[in-house]
Amino acid sequence: MAHLFPSAPWTAAYQSAVNANPNYQVAGKDWTHGAVALVVRADPSIDLGEDMAVLLDVHAGECRAATYTTASDARSRAAFAVEGPYDNWKTLIVENLDPIKALMQGKFKLTKGHLPTIIRYVESSKQLLASAQTVSTEFRR
Amino acid sequence: MTRNHMATLSYESRIELAPGAEDNGLASMLSALILQNLQDKPKKRDDFAKLRGRVAIVAEDAAVSLTLVFEGNMLTIYDGIVGVPDVTVRADSEDIVQLSLVELTSFLGLPNPRGAALREVVQKSKHGKIRVFGALLHWPLVLRLTRLMSIH
Repeated sequence: MAHLFPSAPWTAAYQSAVNANPNYQVAGKDWTHGAVALVVRADPSIDLGEDMAVLLDVHAGECRAATYTTASDARSRAAFAVEGPYDNWKTLIVENLDPIKALMQGKFKLTKGHLPTIIRYVESSKQLLASAQTVSTEFRR
Repeated sequence: MTRNHMATLSYESRIELAPGAEDNGLASMLSALILQNLQDKPKKRDDFAKLRGRVAIVAEDAAVSLTLVFEGNMLTIYDGIVGVPDVTVRADSEDIVQLSLVELTSFLGLPNPRGAALREVVQKSKHGKIRVFGALLHWPLVLRLTRLMSIH
């Protein structure tokens, strides 16, 4: 069954997908730097009235919890926040964009967090993306 | 700007995105990286103070480029290639990130030939995946920039 992106059911399925990805368990095993918020900017045309976020409590190669929440809540609870418009998230997931390349192109912004730390975990971010690609997803457009 | 005025400036105000560079993701990343390195690692501040020159960086796969203009304790980052660079680095986005992972020796802070990241950079340079133009003529600039950008 496909889950609407973003939504609470999609977020729950994403947590399962991350934990089922053995490559993430390896790439993220040293990650002890806090939760990561993936923020989808508001887009009223697809019924996203405010910035929303998937908040991932990732630690040592495991996703301990995943919460679908408002961006303001996620920003306050996360150590890192990556933000972008809906269509860019869709492209990232569907077309398997390289996350670093997407950041360099300005499609996403790291709005919270320590960049030198993120840079050490490029493979981990790729595996988080690979996990998202295994979730059966229904996009809002 | 007077020397006394310079001493009171925070590093946030010494690193500036030129108009038009705000939407360049690579420019935002490099300004954040350099700022956080300067804040985290005081030993890098001497390199920043001595850096003078113009460095162009081109992320070929992302079709993004920028120019870093160092003027001794001041850095302005421009979108695209501006002026005549002293040094030009051309590589794919992931390899540009790789450059910031280069390990440094504890003595003199030179790139560590035993480091995995430097070995990978050398291999990619041999195969033309990372190309640095002007390095031989401007090796002090390249060395200081490497130390400044390295997260180590």
